[in-house]
Amino acid sequence: MQSAVSRQSLTDTFREACFIILLSVVAGLAVNLIRTDSIPFIQGWSVESRLSQGDGDSLAISLSEAQALFLENKAVFLDARGKDLFDEGHIKGARSLPWHGVDDYFQEVIQGMDRETLVITYCDGESCNLSHDLALFLQNMGFTHIKVLVNGWTLWAENNLPTEMSDK
Amino acid sequence: MNSVYRFFYHLTRLVLGAVFIYASLDKIFNPGAFAQTVFNYQVLPGALVNLTALILPWLELILGAGLLLNRWMQGASSLAAVLMTVFIGLILFNLARGLDISCGCFSTSLEKGPMDMMTLFRDILFLIVAISLAVLTFYKKNAHYKNQLYTD
Repeated sequence: MQSAVSRQSLTDTFREACFIILLSVVAGLAVNLIRTDSIPFIQGWSVESRLSQGDGDSLAISLSEAQALFLENKAVFLDARGKDLFDEGHIKGARSLPWHGVDDYFQEVIQGMDRETLVITYCDGESCNLSHDLALFLQNMGFTHIKVLVNGWTLWAENNLPTEMSDK
Repeated sequence: MNSVYRFFYHLTRLVLGAVFIYASLDKIFNPGAFAQTVFNYQVLPGALVNLTALILPWLELILGAGLLLNRWMQGASSLAAVLMTVFIGLILFNLARGLDISCGCFSTSLEKGPMDMMTLFRDILFLIVAISLAVLTFYKKNAHYKNQLYTD
């Protein structure tokens, strides 16, 4: 009798769980179809897709371009990683603007910059999104020349370009 | 069903139901921001990011409603335990990788800051509640099935 009870219990559990999941799938997809701020069911999340703008331009900048701007001192580099990682090492002359805390540090970090300043944001890793988020935030704040150096810290360090650590 | 059992059964289902519904709302209202959060976890292929962002909040809402209304309790309590286990696994995975990302557990806002050990402990607490509820629910249902068998 015990096994019959257990079997019945498991069957009911499975049936109810499937019902809840099915209802969620239908509700989630149906509501997305009718809402005004819907998102595509399937969307490209590659680096190129994420960094391409509505006008077809890309936010991404190549390492060689970033290096040239660095050498000519024509861009401000913003490090979107956490403060600890920034202190351990960053692109020489870069300013720290951690994405988690952007509202707190923003005003202080942009001192001396105008909205026309060319800004290059970076973090670490191909899929790191902090620099992209920071770039979009800066665009919303009125900055007109924003670029993202994808996988910036690793690329910069691997190519032995100038870096520095923070003074403790 | 004695009163102590009944008290814990209803307490856990109400608490867990409220938590899941609360967790779902901001994600349902901000699908784009939640899709970004899902992507930031970097565990799903790109093709599944938006689908997960669209369906998961509704799963939380519907199972939360089931718990609050005392409906589909076996399915809802089991799914709650499974979801909490998955969430804890994801948090552990990303803490181990050192990813500096928001949990997105209750809000898509970045003001909540990155996930940390407190996020993990909180979810472990919810998992304990979810498992307790699942056990209590099975206990209640098994008693019900046995009564049915005796009656038949």
